[in-house]
Amino acid sequence: MSAHNRGTELDLSWISKIQVNHPAVLRRAEQIQARRTVKKEWQAAWLLKAVTFIDLTTLSGDDTSSNIQRLCYKAKYPIREDLLKALNMHDKGITTAAVCVYPARVCDAVKALKAAGCNIPVASVAAGFPAGQTHLKTRLEEIRLAVEDGATEIDVVINRSLVLTGQWEALYDEIRQFRKACGEAHLKTILATGELGTLTNVYKASMIAMMADFIKTSTGKETVNATFPVAIVMLRAIRDFFWKTGNKIGFKPAGGIRSAKDSLAWLSLVKEELGDEWLKPELFRIGASTLLSDIERQIYHHVTGRYAAYHDLPMS
Amino acid sequence: MAATRAGPRAREIFTSLEYGPVPESHACALAWLDTQDRCLGHYVNGKWLKPEHRNSVPCQDPITGENLASCLQAQAEDVAAAVEAARMAFKGWSAHPGVVRAQHLTRLAEVIQKHQRLLWTLESLVTGRAVREVRDGDVQLAQQLLHYHAIQASTQEEALAGWEPMGVIGLILPPTFSFLEMMWRICPALAVGCTVVALVPPASPAPLLLAQLAGELGPFPGILNVLSGPASLVPILASQPGIRKVAFCGAPEEGRALRRSLAGECAELGLALGTESLLLLTDTADVDSAVEGVVDAAWSDRGPGGLRLLIQESVWDEAMRRLQERMGRLRSGRGLDGAVDMGARGAAACDLVQRFVREAQSQGAQVFQAGDVPSERPFYPPTLVSNLPPASPCAQVEAPSLVGGPWRAEPPGHPLQVPWPVVVASPFRTAKEALLVANGTPRGGSASVWSERLGQALELGYGLQVGTVWINAHGLRDPSVPTGGCKESGCSWHGGPDGLYEYLRPSGTPARLSCLSKNLNYDTFGLAVPSTLPAGPEIGPSPAPPYGLFVGGRFQAPGARSSRPIRDSSGNLHGYVAEGGAKDIRGAVEAAHQAFPGWAGQSPGARAALLWALAAALERRKSTLASRLERQGAELKAAEAEVELSARRLRAWGARVQAQGHTLQVAGLRGPVLRLREPLGVLAVVCPDEWPLLAFVSLLAPALAYGNTVVMVPSAACPLLALEVCQDMATVFPAGLANVVTGDRDHLTRCLALHQDVQAMWYFGSAQGSQFVEWASAGNLKPVWASRGCPRAWDQEAEGAGPELGLRVARTKALWLPMGD
Repeated sequence: MSAHNRGTELDLSWISKIQVNHPAVLRRAEQIQARRTVKKEWQAAWLLKAVTFIDLTTLSGDDTSSNIQRLCYKAKYPIREDLLKALNMHDKGITTAAVCVYPARVCDAVKALKAAGCNIPVASVAAGFPAGQTHLKTRLEEIRLAVEDGATEIDVVINRSLVLTGQWEALYDEIRQFRKACGEAHLKTILATGELGTLTNVYKASMIAMMADFIKTSTGKETVNATFPVAIVMLRAIRDFFWKTGNKIGFKPAGGIRSAKDSLAWLSLVKEELGDEWLKPELFRIGASTLLSDIERQIYHHVTGRYAAYHDLPMS
Repeated sequence: MAATRAGPRAREIFTSLEYGPVPESHACALAWLDTQDRCLGHYVNGKWLKPEHRNSVPCQDPITGENLASCLQAQAEDVAAAVEAARMAFKGWSAHPGVVRAQHLTRLAEVIQKHQRLLWTLESLVTGRAVREVRDGDVQLAQQLLHYHAIQASTQEEALAGWEPMGVIGLILPPTFSFLEMMWRICPALAVGCTVVALVPPASPAPLLLAQLAGELGPFPGILNVLSGPASLVPILASQPGIRKVAFCGAPEEGRALRRSLAGECAELGLALGTESLLLLTDTADVDSAVEGVVDAAWSDRGPGGLRLLIQESVWDEAMRRLQERMGRLRSGRGLDGAVDMGARGAAACDLVQRFVREAQSQGAQVFQAGDVPSERPFYPPTLVSNLPPASPCAQVEAPSLVGGPWRAEPPGHPLQVPWPVVVASPFRTAKEALLVANGTPRGGSASVWSERLGQALELGYGLQVGTVWINAHGLRDPSVPTGGCKESGCSWHGGPDGLYEYLRPSGTPARLSCLSKNLNYDTFGLAVPSTLPAGPEIGPSPAPPYGLFVGGRFQAPGARSSRPIRDSSGNLHGYVAEGGAKDIRGAVEAAHQAFPGWAGQSPGARAALLWALAAALERRKSTLASRLERQGAELKAAEAEVELSARRLRAWGARVQAQGHTLQVAGLRGPVLRLREPLGVLAVVCPDEWPLLAFVSLLAPALAYGNTVVMVPSAACPLLALEVCQDMATVFPAGLANVVTGDRDHLTRCLALHQDVQAMWYFGSAQGSQFVEWASAGNLKPVWASRGCPRAWDQEAEGAGPELGLRVARTKALWLPMGD
């Protein structure tokens, strides 16, 4: 990842006047999915690019070292080597952007990636994931422990109650403390947009969270996860923040992104709203678990002209 | 390992992440053209009509210039054949119950669904518009239109009782149009039982395809006939004796010329003119969303024309920055590419916009262009023009291509229409100023208001003089929502109930006949006022002192300082009335305008209360009024009945106006659409000679009830009764509400019809006068209602107070209110 976002002073005037028009954003979200498509080589290249944005994720109660190991291996070799060769892309070092696990599994992931001989970062969720309803002290401690275990990226959830009650300064302070607890690790702030009530709140929470790195839509555990309307609002906030401060903030949709087609729509959404500068792993991630296998299937079809059987592609 | 299908470029694309071509195959469009041997004729009476010895024009791909087919040009005899076919088909089609027509329209919708791919590729191929817009927008809406109107047809007998279909409709479409424009107009026409002859510009195959699909459905072949031909056929089609109404859609100047040439002809005329839209961006708006609204309006191939953009000064910089940023991401290319925002519209559109931009630049405007656009013609980049003051000559000069024609005597200073794909941005300071600027043009099509403050948005939405207002959205359409305009955008409507009434007439009224008098001289009609000479010896009781003109709430002496004698039925002098002239008309219109905002702002209840007060006053003076009527030759009983009926009319309209406007619910939109009925403004009424009291009141009552203010010319034979009513109005009404000018009918008619600031005119009088009024209305395209010398039974409910009056006395506005937090 690029240099840390050193943060900015809290400036509530940036969020005091903002009003997001919900129906208009919904219309834009509908249009954006229909207005841009890519086909053929373009599609293959875009899909491979999408692979490099994936935070390959497993966040289940039954995760153990064996499936973490498998996940890490898949992160290193996301697409079958012969398929990449056919596309003349085998020397591009295509891996996923990171693997993302619970704090207790960070050690397993670090070990497995070391064994696979690569430097893919390990991301850990933290801070009372997914609800954030624990004491601040334990949330901060959780971050420190994950960093100690070797996580270099921390995905924290914000305290939704602070947003819903409008305590923007308290939210800002909490995120600053998370930031401090991360040390050298990168911070991604999960807004859990499905629980913020309105798009205007999403915009405001995005602005506050950016004053502190990456912003991320959701935990994957809410009823509504990464949706286009929410993403549009967050991307517009990122652009406004960039225009105000010159800082480029990263964006990570997570939850519910399963098909290769979805991933293409997300790429074109970022391209349309922010531009090509944002289309790199330092500024754009996709949090997903099953997406990768669908992308691999599409690549298989693109290269061979046939649809793959389940056993044709290695599992993750 | 199977053979590699990947191209060599994947590596480069992986780095650049550029978009690639997404071509949509147009093979089926070409295959359809092949079935016609690449030669398109006309579709008449369920058959292809390909007469010999006709000129043909090539139908080209606007982007590659490739010849797709040749299109035969219709001639006068083809037009006559089509009108005859439609006339024959009308007999059967209109006689069937609505349910049968409904089934037929539903079947047409199903056929369109089956062949939608052919339709959208053909349309996009030939017009150059983005295929995505045609596929996801137009084709779907076309089917919805058919379904909606099928429902209307099936309930026609109950819901539209008292109305009957007009007959054969002549539909004229502009050179650049979507087949959807045709659907908006043919659906209501067919639903109510009319049949259609559509004249489409050369080289537009999609309407022909639709006609073929409709024609091959079977039992009713002649209901939709499509001819392709040059603009010179427009007057020929319009003047065919079988045509009952001409629905014209196109450029304002052509509409104006057609209005003049159809004066006195048999066909009615409905105009839908201009393509420009308006967007108001206030400082409380969600600016990013408003920018998307601008894209929807001007840079997405959805709207047909350009956009005037008014931005509140305090957010000017922010809005312009966001607009320019957004423009950089627009993509233009071949219409059949599935990933472009804008296609191209052919060389003519390209020339028009080039000329506009050059002209704007030469007057000091700033021009910003951006986007991923091919550099060669006929592509044109999205363009943002700013710093073009409204008084600059560019905004005031007519487009060069439109000047000319036989009617050079134009009122000067019509602002140029903003062409596609141009947005002209200008600032405003307050909402009040925004309304002044927005309403300060002759156009009245559509507008959107972007504001997150409900109160402000409604204030602007109600205040804009346009046919459609969207709040925080732009360009939404639905079959159940009437779409139309006011002012010089023409006052014809399509969609919703208003669209149906365009093709209906009250049952049982005599057929509209041509009243064309070839030797009527428009330059001299009503120009001179015959001088008043002494009226001879006075017999009987000395007449009352001359009445004045009732203007601004009081009786005034006429500018000419002369009076005209009025005789009773036995030829004796009954009294003198003032001889009004041009200056008096000017004063009366001014007074009416001054009174208008206050009166229109009153609640319907308050307006009704005043009408009821006038009714009571008339009843108190019943004996005076009756005796006046008696002197005009009425029986005492009949005279008393006329007074009573007049009072009843006032009360009835006061009550009727309470239940005006309603809410529509639209598919796919959360939130209501309000169908408002708004007053027209200043209405000029020339009353018939007969029924001197009843007709006067029957016309006055609805006009005032709906919030208009009026300038009336009372019965020429007996203006005294109207002046009697004025004595009551002077005490009951605020000043200026109703103004009554007596004098020479033709002269006053001329003054009113040529007045640019009279918003509508009703004329009940001679055929010649009607013809003149229709001709003169082309100046500001005011809606006119002329009797053409036909008497009306004012004492009958249907003719004297029927729904026709209610329709004509107000204009519709659709106000879209999407909701969501």
